[in-house]
Parts: sequence; C-alpha cells; structure tokens
Amino acid sequence: MTIGSYSVRLEKRTLLRSWEAALISILAIVLALVLFSLIFILAGINPLVAYQEIFSYAFANRFGLPLVINRFIFLLLCTSAFIIPYRAGLWNIGMTGQLYMGSLGAFGVLMALGGKESISAELNPFVLIPLMLVAAAIGGAVIGAIAGVLKGRFNINEIVVTMILNFIAYWLVAYMIKEGGAFMNPGGRGESFELPPSVYAPLLGDIPFTIFLALGLALLLYFVFAKTRLGYEIKAHGHSPAAARYSGISPLGISFLTFALGGAIAGLAGYHYFAAVPGVYKIARNYGYFGDLAFYGIICGLISQGNPLAAIPITLLFGGLSVGGRFVQGKLHMSFGVDYALLGVLMISLVAFQFFYRYRIIWTKIAKESPDVGVSG
Amino acid sequence: MWEFLARSLEASTIFTFAGLGELIGQRSGILNVGIEGVMLFGATLGFMAAQSTESYAIGFLVAIAIGGLLGLLHGFFSITLGGDQVVSGMGIWILGFGLTTYIGMPFTGPLGLPRIPTILGVSPLFYIGVVLVVITWFVLSKTSLGLRIRSVGENPSVAEVSGVSIAKTRYLCVTVSGMLMGLAGAIYSLDYNPVWNYNFLMGWGFIALALVFFSMWNPIILLGGSLLFGTLWQLSLNPQLVLPGLLSRYIWRTVPFIITLGVLLLMSTKWFRTKWGAAKPEALGEPYEKG
Repeated sequence: MTIGSYSVRLEKRTLLRSWEAALISILAIVLALVLFSLIFILAGINPLVAYQEIFSYAFANRFGLPLVINRFIFLLLCTSAFIIPYRAGLWNIGMTGQLYMGSLGAFGVLMALGGKESISAELNPFVLIPLMLVAAAIGGAVIGAIAGVLKGRFNINEIVVTMILNFIAYWLVAYMIKEGGAFMNPGGRGESFELPPSVYAPLLGDIPFTIFLALGLALLLYFVFAKTRLGYEIKAHGHSPAAARYSGISPLGISFLTFALGGAIAGLAGYHYFAAVPGVYKIARNYGYFGDLAFYGIICGLISQGNPLAAIPITLLFGGLSVGGRFVQGKLHMSFGVDYALLGVLMISLVAFQFFYRYRIIWTKIAKESPDVGVSG
Repeated sequence: MWEFLARSLEASTIFTFAGLGELIGQRSGILNVGIEGVMLFGATLGFMAAQSTESYAIGFLVAIAIGGLLGLLHGFFSITLGGDQVVSGMGIWILGFGLTTYIGMPFTGPLGLPRIPTILGVSPLFYIGVVLVVITWFVLSKTSLGLRIRSVGENPSVAEVSGVSIAKTRYLCVTVSGMLMGLAGAIYSLDYNPVWNYNFLMGWGFIALALVFFSMWNPIILLGGSLLFGTLWQLSLNPQLVLPGLLSRYIWRTVPFIITLGVLLLMSTKWFRTKWGAAKPEALGEPYEKG
C-alpha cells in the first residue's frame, strides 16, 4: 500500500521489546478514552470536563482516593488471578465465581467461630483474620481447581467452565445470604451478617493491610515467572502444551496448579472487598457488582501482557477510571453504567491493538523509479 | 403443565438460534466465545427500537443488523487481522456487557407492546427455529456451499488449493452467525421475556456455546440439546411446578449449569468419543495465513 510518497507494509514481529509493548498498551488506552468521549458527547457533556472530573476525583480527592486504592487492591488481585493461568495459555474468566467462593469461605469461618452471634463479639483478630484469609484462598482455589482439572484431565474448554462456575457461585451466594440462608443478616436485608468490629482488617490510614498482600503477590509472581522452575514450566506450557508435555511437564499438573493458585488469589479479592474495605464489612446486597468488576482483571491482564509488575500501574489507572466513571455519572447526571461502558470500550480497543503486538508497520520512502533495463534478478 | 411446556419450547428457541449461529461460524473454523455479548446487543438495541417505533419487525431487524455487524467485527479481528479469536470474542462479550448496561438502562422496564400472537400456544419463532435448523443441516451436509464451509473449517490450505476463498467463506459464515445471535437476543427481550433489566441474560449465551460443543457440530443434535436445556432452564425458574418446596429457588438456578458441566464431562470421555465420533472442525480457532 502506498500513502503519498511512502510505502506502508506490515511485518511480523520477531520480538516485542518491553517499551514497544508499553507504548502499544498506552495507545490502546488512549484510543479507548478518545472513543469513550463519544459517550460523553452523546450525553451532552464536554469530554474534557468529564475526564478532568474523573481524574481529579480519582487521584486528587480525599474521598475518591481511598476508594480508588481499595479498588486497585481488588483489581490487582483479580489481575494476578487471571495472569497465572494466562501465562500457561489458559483462560481464567472465573475470578468472579472464585471471589464469591472466597468470601463465602471467609464468612463461613467467621460464623463457625462465633462471628454471627453478636456484632459486639470479642474475637481474637490474630487468630481469626489469618483463618479468614486461608478460608478465602481455599474457597477460591477449590472452585478454580475444578476448571483446572476439567481442562487438564478432560480437555473441556476452560472459558465455558469458568463462566458456568461464575453463575453457580453467584446463585450459591444468593442462597447463603438471602431468604433464610445461613449467612443471612438478622435484619433480613438480603445481605450477609456483619463483621464484628473486633475482626475488622487492620488499617493504615484508610487503607486495609490487603494492599501489602496484593503488591507482595504481584512481586512474588514476577519472581516466580522470571526465576523459578515452576514459572518456566508454566511459560513452556503456554508456548506449546504439546512440546511441554514431551519435556515431561504434566498438562494436568500445570492446569490444576495455575487455576488453583489463580482461584486462591481471586478468593483473597473476595476477602478484601467484603471483609477489609472500611464501610462494607459484609457480603453486600449488590455483590454482583463486585463480581462484574472482576472482569476488569481480564483487561488489565491482557494489557500488561501477563506481566505482574506492569499490572500494578494499569490496575491503579483502571481502578481510578472505574471509580471516577461512577462519580461523574452521578455528578453530571448521566444514566447508570458509565463504568460498565468504559469497561466495554477499553476491552474492544485493546482487542484491536492486539494486532500491533504481532505486527509492526514499516514506512519506507519510495525511491524515484529507476528505468527498467530489462534485466531481471 | 401445557403452559410450562410452551414456555420451555420458547426458551429453547433462544438456545436454538444462538447455538445455530455459533455452529455455522465454528463449522467454517471461527470460534466466537462472545455469543452472550452479541445477544445482549441484539436484545437491547432490538428492545429500544421496538419500543420507540412500536414495531416488532423493526426491533427484530435492528437486532439482526447489529448482530451481523458484530459478526463482521469478529471476522475483521480474526480473519483479516489474524488475531486470537478467543481475545476477540472476549472483547465482544465485554463490550456488549458493558455498553448495553449503559445504553439500555434508561429503557429499564417492560416493553409495553401487545404480545406476539402464538400458534398452537407457542411463539411462531419456535417453528421458524425448527425450519432454520433443517435448512442449516441441509445446506451444510447436502450442498456445495456446505461442502465449501466445512472444507474451510477442516483444512483451509487444501480448500484454498481447490479454489475456495477462505476469507470470503469465513466472512459469510461469521456474519450470518452474528445475525442469528443478535436475533436470539431479541427473541429473549421481545418475545420470551419482554422486560429490559441489567444483565438479564445471565448465562444464556455461554450455555449456547456449550450446546454447540455438545451437538458435535450437528444442527439436528443442537436442536435436541436446545429443547433439553430450554426445558431445564424453565424448570429452574419454576421448580415448584414439578417438585414443590424441595430445594431453595436459588439452588434450582444452578441446576442447568451443573448439568451442563456434567454433560461436558460425559462428552469428553473416551467411551463417548469412540461411540459417537466427535466431528470438531479441525481448524477451529486457528487463524489462516497463506503459506
């Protein structure tokens, strides 16, 4: 193809440098925000004003910022949960169900140890909080492992399975917290019983300790992928399951392990939102909204190209965008779901930009045509 | 009881259309995991169009058109750009889920049009679905177009050598595929349950995707699967009709999903595969690049 005096062609990349990957990701996000301006324009709002509101609420407002940090912790955990199987070439879109099961696990332990009996129950946080974390991880790991085994042992499509498990977990939570379920709030408001203040997660300022968990896990994962045998085996399976099998790596083992680990981390995201974020401290009536938010983990995982460290700034940005989107929706009187629409637009822009991870555009100036002297070769 | 059966047939109609769309695409080698997203778009835009024009015909046409466009988009990503079909399908699903939640929200509530008249107590769309299944089966297995589609899905390089255009055939299939999915969504929101709600599909598209795997890519088996799951789904919504008071209604809602997992498991066993012979298109999900 020629444009002006340049010829433009596509070339398959042989390697993708990290600055190139970062640039492509940034362009994808910028394009999405430009496209998203249309939504503001259609709603009769100046997009520049809207974006200014979003960013200033998200990152420079004393009410907005803690919300953003809490969401960042949640998204980083969900993204890590997506990344582990993704590096093995497997799709975990079941973070939603895994975090539901994680929160059921955490509240199950709490109830078993007397947390439901009275809101003023004096429980030992040094015992109970670790137990709740472990139970949340186990809850997520168990439902995650189901998908891992079905994929690894029976080769059943993991996208279908994780999505189906999401719906199963969604209804299980409804069963537990509504209409006489075991975790039902005594006031019967369609939500779970509340956490006794004695086992509220420790805070640093407004931020729960789970931030260290999320950041620590991202660092640990980076190390595992870069330096360890397990990380190598996961990546080998991701490049070619068949080749990995010949070199003695068990597909069942990798599939089981990556989904169980991913599920465990997503389970912690469930603990974080329902037992550690100030002002929540129960499985909320609108728990489905937090489940939907987990889908941002897919986008963040794809944009960061499976790199757990790159996921840190990306999840912070997306946490800000989703909280800020919610805020402008109220402030500028837009209809509900601005943050959902943003999720969709970001995703499709990212899909379009996937192309540039594999190809690059080569511009070359066309030389003046040389006379054809009839000699070929 | 008759009412329950009629509703089950109508529920199965949605699975039939959506599954048939996916089946046609997959037969040509294109996997679209974004059925639910296309259905949400068809359902939401169809609902909005029908409500504002007070015409069912326009509602269905809009749904078919947006479905076709999304099919083309998926085709562009996966055929022209040669991208990962799973990524593209996920993109379409999340786009559909996100955007329709926003644009449909002001339309929350019932459609407010007189219901589509029934034939023998069942929506006419059910009969159209059955006819379409037979037509698809006939086209795929008895015509030269069907042979072309199957060859593109099985072994594109051989098909190309014998003069078949891979891109054209696949584009045709993904577009038709998207149209059927969009229509399936509109059947939900205009006929089966004409009320717009946030994320009302709650998994219909993913069950339809699983149904295509069950069907072993045979439209007739797909119809059988749709009837089974339509009944099952309807039962999970109204368990009191059959087993009053047995389990919580929330637990009933998980039943179709659990059975889906069970059937997928059964199908994956060696016994099943040797007995029935899975006809999975060989080149499914793989972008075709000229050698």
